Amino acid sequence: MTRAVLLATVVLAGLTGEAGAERLTIALSTPEVKINSNFTGTSLTIFGVVERDAATVGRTTAGYQVAVVVRGPGESVVARRKDRVLGVWANNASQTFLSAPSFYAVDTSTGLSDLAPAEQLRRLQIGFENISLIDARSTASSDADQTTFREAFLRLKEQSGLYAMSTGVDFIGDTIFRATVWIPANVPVGHYAAVVTLFSDGTPLATAEDRIFISKTGFERFMFAASRQSALVYGLATVILALFTGWLAGVIFRRD
Amino acid sequence: MQIYLPIAELSVNMLIIFGMGGAVGFLSGLFGVGGGFLLTPLLIFSGIPPVVSVATVSSQIVASSASGALSYWRRRMIDMKLAMVLLFSGIVGTAIGVFVFNGLRKLGQLDLIVSLAYVTFLGSVGGLMLTESVRAIIDARHGRPAPLRRPGQHNWIHGLPFKMRFKRSKLYVSAIPIVALGIAIGFLGALLGIGGGFIMVPALIYLLRVPTNVVIGTSLVQIVGTMAVATVLHAVGSQSVDAVLAVILMIGGVIGAQFGARVGQNIRGDQLRALLALLVLAVAIRFLIGLVVPPDERFTLELVSGGFVP
Repeated sequence: MTRAVLLATVVLAGLTGEAGAERLTIALSTPEVKINSNFTGTSLTIFGVVERDAATVGRTTAGYQVAVVVRGPGESVVARRKDRVLGVWANNASQTFLSAPSFYAVDTSTGLSDLAPAEQLRRLQIGFENISLIDARSTASSDADQTTFREAFLRLKEQSGLYAMSTGVDFIGDTIFRATVWIPANVPVGHYAAVVTLFSDGTPLATAEDRIFISKTGFERFMFAASRQSALVYGLATVILALFTGWLAGVIFRRD
Repeated sequence: MQIYLPIAELSVNMLIIFGMGGAVGFLSGLFGVGGGFLLTPLLIFSGIPPVVSVATVSSQIVASSASGALSYWRRRMIDMKLAMVLLFSGIVGTAIGVFVFNGLRKLGQLDLIVSLAYVTFLGSVGGLMLTESVRAIIDARHGRPAPLRRPGQHNWIHGLPFKMRFKRSKLYVSAIPIVALGIAIGFLGALLGIGGGFIMVPALIYLLRVPTNVVIGTSLVQIVGTMAVATVLHAVGSQSVDAVLAVILMIGGVIGAQFGARVGQNIRGDQLRALLALLVLAVAIRFLIGLVVPPDERFTLELVSGGFVP
């Protein structure tokens, strides 16, 4: 129901737009994701409509392709590699990635190689290998070594569900499409950006951007804020709670 | 039944965590130990970040030890003066422990040191306990009486200066070993997320000759105090105490402990100690395997603190 309404809004917005080249209008199924105590992840749907004018209707022969990228706030991450040191496996070499996206999901309507030439994809940061990771403070010995750190970073992020790549963009007719991105439970909070790029014949024609705000809500928000902003009170409260639980158990199960 | 942990920032199955708390609580009731040395590794192996595990278990130990300490308090089986000396030195050790904990975390060597410490301490304590209890079991089989503790027996520790009198324990002993023990237990507790009762109790009995009837109560009071301080210091220092996780563990733990204590009354002391020793050794071996077997994934990622602002 809500999706239908959304879709209608998008279509209307597209139709009332000014004439020109291809114009792209997008709408999100929800602009805000609230994390509460039973949050186990949620899916985010991005609807889009391509508006064409008379000049562009006949132009494309290859049809349209779409890439939807959802990025989380940047974070600094240190990747560490275990090496055998004195017979035990211990963290040895490390590499710090400054301002790597905490979350990165790309959904496309076709395989990356059919979407656009490699340099275009790199410029638009579409695909894992094209994410710009600013690396600093590396203790890796060689360039090849640094590449393994980058690969490990991407692999671990993908395993944790925070980086995802799929070709699930669905065209409903020629000019209306829908993409779905899974937001897992371990998602970091903050401002997310959804960037949709429209391609035809390997050329980016238009982009549209929208923002999503992911935040903890209610009790979870309160607990998180308390642990950061009034850490001492939070710690003391936890201790009092523990003492109370211990006392209560002693009273309930008292045998002597 | 999934529940989102606000500090660990992940979703866990509440029943599994509750079950873990209950199982460890059962064992802690059975053996009369806090169980931190089991619970912290269990949480780490089940995917809770080590930092959160260590910090959160310290609050769980407060709950499980407090109910035990209260019961000993009612029976007047606590040497309060000894407990206070241990506690204040324990707080010093805890502060050093939390400081070292955060330093190692920044260096990325926390996991290694925690593993090495688990192997060393659990391995040696478990080994000692196993030899002692097996000898006791064999002696009992052959009908030999357990060696009696002679009151006049002294070791080198009783020759140290700065003597203090502990009336309840009928002891006149140097403060140096007591303070050193308190600091060591506090340090290990904060670093490893353990209460340290399984090290403290034998040390009090064998090194300081504290009478067995006040040992457990006194040790519990010290554990409640140091772990309470550890919880607060972890909450302030690394902001990694997850109160939601702690509550689930506490409730599971106190319920499990009651059943454990009832079962424990029907098992002989030396057999209980042998079982506990095997358990302690098993945890040590599990950590040893983790250290020497090549890991499936050699890389780990860690957020540099302050990486993003919510």
